[in-house]
Amino acid sequence: MESRRESQVHLTDEQFAELLLGAEPAAVREHLAACAQCSAEAEQVGGAIGSFERESRLWAERRAATAIEVGERQPGWAWLQRPQGWMAAAVVVIAMAAGVGVTVHSERQPGVAQPVATAPEVSAATLKADNELLAAIHGELRAEDSTPASVYGLAAGSRGGRAKAQKRISNE
Amino acid sequence: MQLVIDPDMICCVTGEPTLTALDDIEALDRVYRSRLLRFVAYATGDQDLAETIVQDCLLKAYNARDSFRGDCAVYTWLAHIANNLIRDHQRTRKFQFWRRVQKTSPDLSELASLLPSGASSPESQILARERAQEVAAALQGLSENQRTIFLMRFIEEMDLQEICQATGMQLSTVKTHLHRAVKAVRLKLGGRA
Repeated sequence: MESRRESQVHLTDEQFAELLLGAEPAAVREHLAACAQCSAEAEQVGGAIGSFERESRLWAERRAATAIEVGERQPGWAWLQRPQGWMAAAVVVIAMAAGVGVTVHSERQPGVAQPVATAPEVSAATLKADNELLAAIHGELRAEDSTPASVYGLAAGSRGGRAKAQKRISNE
Repeated sequence: MQLVIDPDMICCVTGEPTLTALDDIEALDRVYRSRLLRFVAYATGDQDLAETIVQDCLLKAYNARDSFRGDCAVYTWLAHIANNLIRDHQRTRKFQFWRRVQKTSPDLSELASLLPSGASSPESQILARERAQEVAAALQGLSENQRTIFLMRFIEEMDLQEICQATGMQLSTVKTHLHRAVKAVRLKLGGRA
């Protein structure tokens, strides 16, 4: 009966990495058959990475499912794909902006005079500083407003490419 | 009599292009969110930041879907975008600040109740979870590039060519990072590396 014994020469880092990647050349296979230490280590490290893959996948699936459950109670991505959604949002924003100054609060009691809120006096210097700050923020936001195509150097594609993508998705 | 019109029929009649998978952001979200979330969460070590990055990634991919040429898998393209978003976040001071203040790394122990109960003994389940946590801890000791490439290869099971496409690195560089990452993880797990 053949028994494994302690070898003086063990798998190199490169061989070990290749082994974990699934490559098992004859030399490595023979060494693993003869060296109990390398064989045990390969099993241990491979098993640990496998456990990590499995558990992290379960974690991510649960986390994503939780996000979807929350998303189902709130508006999801659909608004992005409906131009009327954008238009409705714009109308609401405009209406709110226009209504700020003339809103009548329902809590008011009839016949009771209510104090009129007036905007506090703002000095010209404060206004100038605020405008400069807003302009700076606007500039920052414009600088960040870019697409992956421009930022990451992805060239414009074609509808043919989209068709390939469709095929890939359906295969995955 | 009420006439019900199927929107798909209108599409066919008018000759407008039907939706591709990339045109449907909800499908993108459904198919790729959990995969991206796992990759980004372990690449950044922060599950809350990962949620933000994945959301940004899906949105950017959707907005730039016309630039997708189809010369790589959709996931490779998404991983490329996610990887760049991770780098962008890690460069900012804001990220450095929040990383110090409220880092919320993924907690594999949350999964205790989800582990399959019939397939293996409770002892082996605990052992498997401990091993997984050791790998997770080892990942945090790797450099950013090593961790990203290790995750892409062993967890996302991308091949080396796909990793090159997603990271923009040369094959030799990817291999070097991968070998160093394996060596470090092996050492952390009590190996002889």
